[in-house]
Amino acid sequence: MRVPFVGAVSEVLARDPKGMFITGDLGYGALEGLSSALGKRFLNAGVAEQNMIGVAAGAALAGLRPWVYSIAPFATYRCVEQIRNDVCLHHLPVRVVGNGGGYTYGIMGSTHHALEDLAVLKSLPNMQLFFPCTNDHVAAAVTKMAALDGPSYLRLAISAYETPRPALDEHPETLTRHYFARMARQAPGVTIVGAGHGVQLALHALAHLGLDRANVDVFGVARFPLDLAKDAALAASVEETRSVVFVEEHYRAGGIGESFAVAIPPVASYEILSASYDVDQRYGSARFHMQQCRLTPEALVALVREVAPATYAS
Amino acid sequence: MTRRSPAELTADARSIRRAFLKMHYEAKAGHLGTGLSDIDLLTYVYGAWLRPQDVFILSKGHGASSLYATLHHYGRLTDEQFATYYKDGTLLPAHPAARALDAIPAATGSLGHGFPIASGLAYAHKHVHGSHARVACLVSDGECDEGSVWEAALFCAHHRLDNLTVLVDANGLQGFGRTEEVMKLEPLPLKWEAFGFRTSEIDGHDISKIAAAMERPADGRPHCIVARTTKGKGVRYMEDRLEWHYLPMSEAQYREAVDGLVDPRGDDKTGGGR
Repeated sequence: MRVPFVGAVSEVLARDPKGMFITGDLGYGALEGLSSALGKRFLNAGVAEQNMIGVAAGAALAGLRPWVYSIAPFATYRCVEQIRNDVCLHHLPVRVVGNGGGYTYGIMGSTHHALEDLAVLKSLPNMQLFFPCTNDHVAAAVTKMAALDGPSYLRLAISAYETPRPALDEHPETLTRHYFARMARQAPGVTIVGAGHGVQLALHALAHLGLDRANVDVFGVARFPLDLAKDAALAASVEETRSVVFVEEHYRAGGIGESFAVAIPPVASYEILSASYDVDQRYGSARFHMQQCRLTPEALVALVREVAPATYAS
Repeated sequence: MTRRSPAELTADARSIRRAFLKMHYEAKAGHLGTGLSDIDLLTYVYGAWLRPQDVFILSKGHGASSLYATLHHYGRLTDEQFATYYKDGTLLPAHPAARALDAIPAATGSLGHGFPIASGLAYAHKHVHGSHARVACLVSDGECDEGSVWEAALFCAHHRLDNLTVLVDANGLQGFGRTEEVMKLEPLPLKWEAFGFRTSEIDGHDISKIAAAMERPADGRPHCIVARTTKGKGVRYMEDRLEWHYLPMSEAQYREAVDGLVDPRGDDKTGGGR
């Protein structure tokens, strides 16, 4: 998602003379254009994330509107107190951008995975989170963030199961996408909801594992706080199926799946398919990690069959 | 404000100490030693240095009460606001709050935050806005244990932020002991110099010395003033005593403290160095 992000943020910064871009010494091969276009409004803060967020807060107090970019774990965990105190408590327009959400960085190892970023940040006051489902979802998130006068976080990621599929619908405010619609309204059905690029497990299963023969709705949510009052189609689906499978490339504790569960009325069945960490785990590609913790399209299909056996036509 | 003489500023500092002791006594609040340590620096900042376009950040947020007393003395806090210190519903808690007062741009209290914020302000003013605004921030010596202080120091020197002055309230005492026993900082001026700062080392209770350091012309480098101070300055029984980081005063102690704040022009109890 880095390429569409750089394209979208370049347009925003070209229009906004108060905009500023700060990187934590990352972006080789991606940010050179921004650097030359922005002059002093582009800043490499070096390998010093705490200071980077403090500097962004100070620049925002001086009237600027900074975007702050690093690898997702470095942009969040190292400097969470700076994000909380300096940015969120002051309600400043600082946009933190974390590249490599979930297992995107694969073989780089656990230090480079971001599986708690949304949990950590979603509890902070005034913070808004954006986690696009696909590359063609990024620009809308960037546009929304650019318009905010308070803090936000953008989670950029690449799914190991990336599967192109046009959305049936995208809500202009929440950015929630409806990817697949149930055929039979009266028959048992399941509402599958993916957080950001986690939805691509469902898109993969629709394309390759026959999930398209099941009576499921597939939605991708992309923004927190959730707003089910606006997401009428999603709310209606949950109300009708009363069976939800939530999928996210993030740990379960504090994830978006837990928040979604309390945002909806009680349902008959609610399952979360999420990442997990085992002290004996091995290391590999993003897909290897997802298979290791059974966060896969196959596991998703099995879960749907388990909670609603009658939902499959075949 | 018309430019105030060193003698007037010294008298201001004494009035601020008196108000500071009263507010702490009435609130039964601790953090006395740290405020008495920095009041002369704050007096110079607000009584002489700060122009409307300039910014001051109190990075050592536990000095908030001395900042409130200084702001009140110079008319930047109303009597009504000042009277709410430490009370339920106040905008003046023990560490500065966010978005609470126009006079205080940043909430601080977790150490190592205010200086990076000041650095961002200085960068924006110098390199983006091209303004002549100056930025000052006050850090404590114990605060220099924080890695983020040195991250910011690297940043300021690299970007030649000569519109920024860092004041270090070097009273030699921190949370649980003497700074040199807890985590050696000396030679502190040399450390700042090695990080690329123009460095001054002064008696942080001598208004004339503070003035001379703060008004040094810019030379392309950020400026660090290591202000040698005494924790609890001006109250004899508190001076250089760790416990006065924490304790509130009894009535007898309050009377003794106020009685001891004699006219600095006639006595060196509040005006002298160590």
